Amino acid sequence: MPSAPTKLYADDVSLLVVLLDTNPFFWSTSSLPFSKFLSHVLSFLNSILLLNQINQIVVIATGCNSCDYIYDSSLSTNPGIENGKLPALCSELLKKLEDFVTRDEQLNKQHSLPPTTTSSSLLSGSLSMALCYIQRVFRSGPLHPHPRILCVQGSSDGPEQYVAIMNSIFSAQRSMVPIDSCYIGSNNSAFLQQASYITGGVYQKPQQLDGLFQYLSTVFATDLHSRAFLQLPKSVGVDFRASCFCHKKTIDMGYICSVCLSIFCKHHKKCSTCGSVFGQAQSDVASASNLKRKTPET
Amino acid sequence: MPEVKIIAKNFMDMVASLPAMKLDKLYDNAFICEAILRSLPPLAKKYVLQMLYIDSPITAKSMEVWVLPDGSSKHRVAIDRLIQLRVFSETVDRRKETTYKINPTFQTNLQKLLTHGEVLPREPMPSNITVRLPSMEDLDVYAIGQWECFLLQLISSAQAERPSNISSSMMKVFQRGLLSQRDKEAPRLTESGFQFLLMDTNAQLWYIIREYISNSEERGVDPADLISFLLELSFHVTGEAYNSNTLTEVQRNTIKDLTDLGLVKLQQGRKESWFIPTKLATNLSVSLTDSSSRKQGFVVVETNFRLYAYSTSKLHCEILRLFSRVEYQLPNLIVGAITKESLYNAFENGITADQIISFLQQNAHPRVAERIPTVPENVTDQIRLWESDLNRVEMTPAHYYDEFPSREIFEAACDHAREWNGLLWEDSKPR
Repeated sequence: MPSAPTKLYADDVSLLVVLLDTNPFFWSTSSLPFSKFLSHVLSFLNSILLLNQINQIVVIATGCNSCDYIYDSSLSTNPGIENGKLPALCSELLKKLEDFVTRDEQLNKQHSLPPTTTSSSLLSGSLSMALCYIQRVFRSGPLHPHPRILCVQGSSDGPEQYVAIMNSIFSAQRSMVPIDSCYIGSNNSAFLQQASYITGGVYQKPQQLDGLFQYLSTVFATDLHSRAFLQLPKSVGVDFRASCFCHKKTIDMGYICSVCLSIFCKHHKKCSTCGSVFGQAQSDVASASNLKRKTPET
Repeated sequence: MPEVKIIAKNFMDMVASLPAMKLDKLYDNAFICEAILRSLPPLAKKYVLQMLYIDSPITAKSMEVWVLPDGSSKHRVAIDRLIQLRVFSETVDRRKETTYKINPTFQTNLQKLLTHGEVLPREPMPSNITVRLPSMEDLDVYAIGQWECFLLQLISSAQAERPSNISSSMMKVFQRGLLSQRDKEAPRLTESGFQFLLMDTNAQLWYIIREYISNSEERGVDPADLISFLLELSFHVTGEAYNSNTLTEVQRNTIKDLTDLGLVKLQQGRKESWFIPTKLATNLSVSLTDSSSRKQGFVVVETNFRLYAYSTSKLHCEILRLFSRVEYQLPNLIVGAITKESLYNAFENGITADQIISFLQQNAHPRVAERIPTVPENVTDQIRLWESDLNRVEMTPAHYYDEFPSREIFEAACDHAREWNGLLWEDSKPR
């Protein structure tokens, strides 16, 4: 019998924050049409709600200029059939998603950014939003479900978001929130691989996109309690490459400030992050051994 | 003697014990499938979801690959449960390979739920027809009040302020096992009756519902129908009004009984009548382990063994009287003392010290609930000590044999008794 006044919910109650990639640049090139993708995801969301009546779902759309909450099962009205035949989850989510996509497109026109920078989605933003939401749930009271984040991402990494994403990953690790990632793009995503590796989540790149629902329900519907007993996909290799702080390029090897650990692709006289002054590089022909060994001269 | 105990057994165990035919029929109803799925252990839920779109049978070997070595016992439990509930059917083919297949009706119902999302069993009535709908707080107060009135009537029919509509024969069924009646004497609570009173509301409700269902056949109602209606009821939205016309004859009779238990509230409009499910009803399908219906406590125990209960409820007073001496009663406060005599009384009636302590802890007033421990240690220790005082002598039924014809036979008899773990005492000294 439960006697302690503070008690967590039963083991398998989960709060799932799903980050959906809505980047039009990716979906126009993808082999899986966006509508099909959505129907897979909606069935998956339904199945999570079906498993336990106190399970909670939050959906955040990741666009290329903005991100926003598009569905929260704790706020949604009664699951009645209100307009037409679509149940509340679908109709509410689809309507919000449509609004979001049009708003995101308008933002794109306003900023008129060069097309090269917009091909990645704003993953850092949606990750931070998810973590903020989870923090609020943590503080809401002693009784809360186990949270986890699922990124369903298709577009390639934006190296310019490196610092923001790494910071989100570390704060997720600190608050013990696993980040699962389902990457449906063509290459592997280094950011998501690192996110799942560091936070203890699962990274998977489905081989057959037609069976996306089966992947989602087999791997990503597993609650944190059952993960201790089930064989889940293990990461084969993680791309640990970082982006430099000066040109936002992904690099294998670079210069690191020994004071604040900022990464640079070229030798600088002064660290742009903490302002430490570096000494002269020992030789301009950068040999692998001394590339990383830079001491500040203060 | 084996101790008779009321175990708040899971509702689903009862569903599992239904005959196969009836169980298969139950799965025609999508809500039952949903409730059954939610009642499964986490790993079993996972398997069902995983196999939902797989039509061919899956071999036991390939399923074992899914689990880590640590989880094999949990895997076994999950599979056993699924087979017990006939969600999975097990077949062993000629090559001795075991395969599992998901119940086709169950499968299609869940597939529908996944693609169409959750639907309500009934449309709530539009708010322009229903008037005077109670607020959530009012409804909670109503449900608790109704439930306590029922309990009070259950333990002592004379105490109830207003008689409920539950027929006396029905009441007798509920009282069976909880009360014992000797000829021409006032009925007395049995050991299990006392234990019942100290359980939390959800567990009590389950006990009553179980009795209600197991008795249904005598009233000419199919238990499977009743189970399906009760599960369906738990998917309604608390506080919404539903038209009574949508119910069948049997269901309408059931609703009347449920009103007396506080599960639903009936209201009558000008033309239509409707029922409003309360928190008690919608909590039904939540498994017993979830104490989501935690109510506020009211008891403060002090180190001097005095007990203050902030309550106006007669039932609370009756419960406290089971193990303490109630000294005086103010309009909103019951003051009592835990004494040796009052506890001996309780122990005599079959209540254990642990039950009393857990009752005091679970119903602790919010002010003291924050404190650790909620009940002062000297009080809990003393309660346990007084209980162990009574258990200084342990009785074991035994047979006494003597006058053995020879030493060999005596030793052989001792060895035999020892083998059966039945030797209590022997005296081998020759006389």
